Amino acid sequence: MEHPIIEIKNIGKKYTIRHDVNKYGKLSYVLGNIFKNPIQILKEKFLKKNGSKEIFWALSDVSFEVFKGEAVGVIGHNGAGKSTLLKILSQITPPTKGEIKIHGTVGSLLEVGTGFHPELTGRENIFLNGAILGIKKKDIIRKFNDIVSFAGVEKFIDTPVKHYSSGMYVRLAFSVAAHMESDVLIVDEVLAVGDADFQKQCLTRMKQITENEGRTILFISHNMTAIKNLCKRSVLLDKGRVIMIGETHEVIEKYLHTHTE
Amino acid sequence: MSTQTIVIKPKKLFSFSDLREVWDYRELLYFFTWRDLKVRYKQTVVGVLWAVFQPFITMVVFSIFFGRLLKVPSDGVPYPIFVYTGLIFWQFFADALSETSNVLIVNQAIITKVYFPRLILPLSSVLTKFIDFAIAATILAGMMLYYGYTPKLIALFTIPLLLVITFMISFGIGLFLSSVNVKYRDIRYILPFFIQLLMFLTPVIYPAGIAGKYSWVLALNPMMGVIQSARAVLLGTTIINWTLIGISLGVTFIVMLFGIYRFKKTERYFADLI
Repeated sequence: MEHPIIEIKNIGKKYTIRHDVNKYGKLSYVLGNIFKNPIQILKEKFLKKNGSKEIFWALSDVSFEVFKGEAVGVIGHNGAGKSTLLKILSQITPPTKGEIKIHGTVGSLLEVGTGFHPELTGRENIFLNGAILGIKKKDIIRKFNDIVSFAGVEKFIDTPVKHYSSGMYVRLAFSVAAHMESDVLIVDEVLAVGDADFQKQCLTRMKQITENEGRTILFISHNMTAIKNLCKRSVLLDKGRVIMIGETHEVIEKYLHTHTE
Repeated sequence: MSTQTIVIKPKKLFSFSDLREVWDYRELLYFFTWRDLKVRYKQTVVGVLWAVFQPFITMVVFSIFFGRLLKVPSDGVPYPIFVYTGLIFWQFFADALSETSNVLIVNQAIITKVYFPRLILPLSSVLTKFIDFAIAATILAGMMLYYGYTPKLIALFTIPLLLVITFMISFGIGLFLSSVNVKYRDIRYILPFFIQLLMFLTPVIYPAGIAGKYSWVLALNPMMGVIQSARAVLLGTTIINWTLIGISLGVTFIVMLFGIYRFKKTERYFADLI
């Protein structure tokens, strides 16, 4: 087997959660005590003595590898750590432990329409959003027509996107992202929005990316049909740990099984 | 297989490759600046003229109250042109500083969703304000014609240098404040108040000479050096004080390095804190 394009080794991510005993939210408490005991209030406020801390590992000891041209699904219940993993992979937040090596460029599609500005037209937003996603201007110019026709918004391309229907908005946003040229594409729950036709269109495009263009996708979704459709292999996360890696249908089975427990 | 390898590890210290990365993302810098300019004057009638009106009207009001009524001295040049020169530099500084301090909060949605060098955001804020400055400066050129002032030849060198100082000082303080602002939103309440106070500590509406033997204290404020020198080269109010410019440049440089250090140190955790 060839060299993996993504190597994830023992990744851990720690969050410290503070449980505030929120007495300061109550104006009566502050007003009642600020004159009686002002120093105490300031002390509590600054030293954060109110409330307790808890350490929470959103991910621990996550390791797996992804190969070039693969589409790998990541599934798990809410709070399993899927989004944290994606955020680490797309370098939005650093891991507390471990190391990831990615041999190539990464593009992430965490939420469609990030960076869209409602006052700007569709055309302007394509360029802005493209730049945010790291697509070079000359590449956007080259692909402009493809992006527009994929989204099906030719008629409204010079209208501010605030006047778009939410469907048009999402289609345009996905379309820009789907034309990224990164070696690895990280996709999180895009299919949750848009109608059935659009979802099909997205899946087709993602298949094309992996099968024809030989690029790699990491796909996170709660939509099991979509995962089954796109990914041969999947990873099951639960409470921040990898429970299972393997053939998608087996992983889904396991997932549904843990669900009923 | 691609040549480039990304390594994601727990903590990364500042390295020079970060600067190269900013350069790689220069198109994004352009688009953020372009967006801010484009969006700002959407749905306004006079559009970009607002960048001129604001300092112009301030100049008129100040000229009436401080120049006419209070008879604030102005180093022997007409008060309107005296105060306007100070005002546009001051406004560049003040606007750039307040914009930079809030830039991470305003762009929260992008920061928590997409990776790019975060330094791009404050840089583009200062750039936007620089363009405002350039627009407002056209009025100054008009006033100089009207009052019959010719800038000294050395202005070709000095004015860009003064702009660089203003750019770096607002960028530096802004970087520091924006990284604090991510965690403590108090900044956005303190800052407007602080900027207003600072204006009175800077010779915008009065000449620097007014402070007498204490004027060296004011010299630590880089904007004092900037404004006084701008007046010296454009209007010939005083001789050009190179020591003052040197001090301003030195202070600015230290502040900017500190700002970048603070910003880079907290940068990786912005998405967790914001």
